Amino acid sequence: MSHIACTHCNLTFSEEVLIKEEVQGETRYFCCKGCQGVYHLLNAEGLGTFYDKLGDTQLKPASETSKSDSDLGKFDLEGFKNKYIKNHEDDLCEIHLIIEGIHCSACVWLNEKVLHKTDGIMEASINYTNNKAKIVWDPHSVKLSHIIQTIRSIGYNAYPYDPALQEERAVATRKTYYTRILVAVFGSMNIMWLAIAHYAGYFSGIEQSYKNILNVAQFILATPVLFYSGWIFFRGAYYGYKNNIVNMDTLVASGALLAYIYSIYAMVTLRGEVYFDSVVMIITFVLVGKYLEVLSKKQAVDTLDGIMGSTPTEVTTVNKGIKALVSVENIIIGDAIELKPGERVVIDGLVLSGAASFDESSLTGENEPIYKQKGDSILSGSLCLDSVVLYEANKDVSSSLLTSIVNLLEVSMSRKPRIEQLANTISGYFSTTILVISLLTFTGWYFFMGDFEHALIIGISVIVIACPCALGLATPMATLVGISMAAKRGILFKEAGFLESMAKSDVLFLDKTGTITEGKPSVQHVHIEDGFDASLLYALVSTSNHPISKGIAAYLSQKYDDITSIVLQDIQSIDAKGLKATYHKQTLIGGNASLLKEKGLAVPMDSEHSLFFFAIDNEVLAYFELSDTLRENAADAIDDIKEMGVEIVMLTGDHEKSAQKVASQVGISQVYSKLLPQDKANIIDEYHKQGHVTVMVGDGINDAVALALSDISIAMGNGADIAIDVSDVVLLDDKIESLHEAYILSRRTYRGIKENLGFSLLYNVIAVPLAVMGFVNPLIAALSMSLSSLVVVGNSLRIKNLKFRNKT
Amino acid sequence: MSEEIVILMIGVSTFLGALGLIGLIWAVKTGQFDDHSKFIDATRHDNEEDLRDAAMMAEKKAAHKKRIKELERKKCMPAD
Repeated sequence: MSHIACTHCNLTFSEEVLIKEEVQGETRYFCCKGCQGVYHLLNAEGLGTFYDKLGDTQLKPASETSKSDSDLGKFDLEGFKNKYIKNHEDDLCEIHLIIEGIHCSACVWLNEKVLHKTDGIMEASINYTNNKAKIVWDPHSVKLSHIIQTIRSIGYNAYPYDPALQEERAVATRKTYYTRILVAVFGSMNIMWLAIAHYAGYFSGIEQSYKNILNVAQFILATPVLFYSGWIFFRGAYYGYKNNIVNMDTLVASGALLAYIYSIYAMVTLRGEVYFDSVVMIITFVLVGKYLEVLSKKQAVDTLDGIMGSTPTEVTTVNKGIKALVSVENIIIGDAIELKPGERVVIDGLVLSGAASFDESSLTGENEPIYKQKGDSILSGSLCLDSVVLYEANKDVSSSLLTSIVNLLEVSMSRKPRIEQLANTISGYFSTTILVISLLTFTGWYFFMGDFEHALIIGISVIVIACPCALGLATPMATLVGISMAAKRGILFKEAGFLESMAKSDVLFLDKTGTITEGKPSVQHVHIEDGFDASLLYALVSTSNHPISKGIAAYLSQKYDDITSIVLQDIQSIDAKGLKATYHKQTLIGGNASLLKEKGLAVPMDSEHSLFFFAIDNEVLAYFELSDTLRENAADAIDDIKEMGVEIVMLTGDHEKSAQKVASQVGISQVYSKLLPQDKANIIDEYHKQGHVTVMVGDGINDAVALALSDISIAMGNGADIAIDVSDVVLLDDKIESLHEAYILSRRTYRGIKENLGFSLLYNVIAVPLAVMGFVNPLIAALSMSLSSLVVVGNSLRIKNLKFRNKT
Repeated sequence: MSEEIVILMIGVSTFLGALGLIGLIWAVKTGQFDDHSKFIDATRHDNEEDLRDAAMMAEKKAAHKKRIKELERKKCMPAD
């Protein structure tokens, strides 16, 4: 059985299931009608070069991404227009869309190309990094619904988002930072080569006239850097002053400004040395650090837009038999809402009639669909899978679960830098102290010696010597080594500071499914009767995406080599119970115990695992016991972490029984089960109140709030995008052992930081008094600074000697 | 080396550098670096076709502006 790639999406399938077609004398294979349609559409439009650009990248089959066009009408509704469409003065409309299904730059190319070719579209640009598109069109020539339909026709999907919420602000800040950094880097690079001439002249002698030229050139370059690039620090210092806070900005601004003023004084009076190079260096380094923070915030905003954008803006209400599309904001408690298969729930409620399976994985993390019928409650955020349901809203949209999760996320994103605040207060005290010392030094020298100029140089040298050097290097150097060591072992720390907080943590929260366990059920026991045909069962379970079916399919393909491809007829998916199909007049049934009981078959019911039965013509031929397996070495790794003195707590949305089972297997005694996303967050908050520093490990959207609230959040590399985005650390290899390694590394790094800090404090304690006493001239300062930096760097490199268990 | 030469060298090189800086800032402000992935891939997909596309979009915009102007003129014209 040979496997061939689909001409459009590049996914491989066995030859027999593919659609064959002769195109210009060559045989083309398609996995579905959707892919075939898109292929012909692209070639007809002259966009066949898309496939050259695509290379080996695999796409989603077009039939999976294509949605029914029945909801297209909503894009032309008034409520939708008011919410998402911006009207330009020249009669054009603008919308921001998130394009779903983009895999590579060829996809971006194709979408732009097709949009450009559409009449009435004036501008279409797609950002490949975050899949966001901006489209400007003439509403008289083309409707928005047509634009969306065009995107869908080539196998992608688009939904709108509102950039005014967060993105515009985030983008604007990023751009101003970027330009400010460009100016600062340009200024400092040029001043440095002028300064080299200056320093050379300091040692070997230089004529005053040349020195003046260099001084003026440095002055011209330093001025825009200080006032344009450094504006952020002056603003920060000003706000600090208004609120009576002395912060790092104050120190940076005052140090740089004083050095600048003094340098002008030295330049004009032709006495002493200029310090324009220090001015620009201070500004540039601190500015780059701040820019990195801004970058990470932008990413979080992108993900949040993704969640909000995928939720519907309108729902179908049914009032006395009349159906109407109503904006979600206008839904009041008691309204009857119709839910179709594939729709996401936006408003919580109770089922009035009908029954369907719901995918609640985005809320509970458990991937088994849940069957709901009359009287059951449905939660917003879950996905209706297989049939039409009528339900009554028992909350309005703003108090529904999904909205509250998103709100919580927004809040916690802005609340995140707790450690940063602490660092700022500490540096605030440090800054104040240095400023006071420098002021006292200046007044002291001025009163006792009477020499204004000399007193000013000494005052400034105190600020400059204390400001950036060893103390500034102590943390970044050690964390840099720690972070790069971690990255080599598949542990990504998103920010340097996280190593430090991780080292301090004393409580570890673990999610169950996907974190301690694999998140995929696998076959544990098999009972097979005579007449069992693995190929038939394989064909049956292959028709379903249910995790249990997938688990069985994986088991069969691994265990049996002789599976042949069989085409079944009348395939039916029975709500959350199983599958049914016919093959050569035989009836195949596969599913759980209740399905077989319904069919009048007696089956053994008792097992602590999930059961799957397979019957042909009312005869049970096999049954499988499946359970979620623990991750490799989970128990050992958890033991190791416990030994480090960390309290371990398990948080799960699953039932108590299965939670307890897993907990006892890995040796966790504290278990909280049946938790909703907020409950997890609440528990973490409780621990915070008791003064604990917490680490949370999770993988799903359901963990996102808890992850965002925890001091340190760790996501599994294969988890949901949102989980990875709000988390501080990502474990790429999905192993619990890496968690243990992350602990070891962070603690070692933290020790390195403490040693470095201790040393640099010592350095400051010695250097600052020397500066105060007037013993520090530029030469000594430069020498002692480099020496102290070398010590810090050397000590940090010692972290590399750390040995891990099992591995080299 | 005379003082004038030093001034000239520093002045000219700083000026040239500043021109580059201004160009870079202009690129940032007009959003040319907003999408770093596309920026890197641009070299792979850059071809005549894209130029034709850009020309087509410019034509479309020009046509739209013309139409708007004509509409306005009609509005301003006194009724016969």
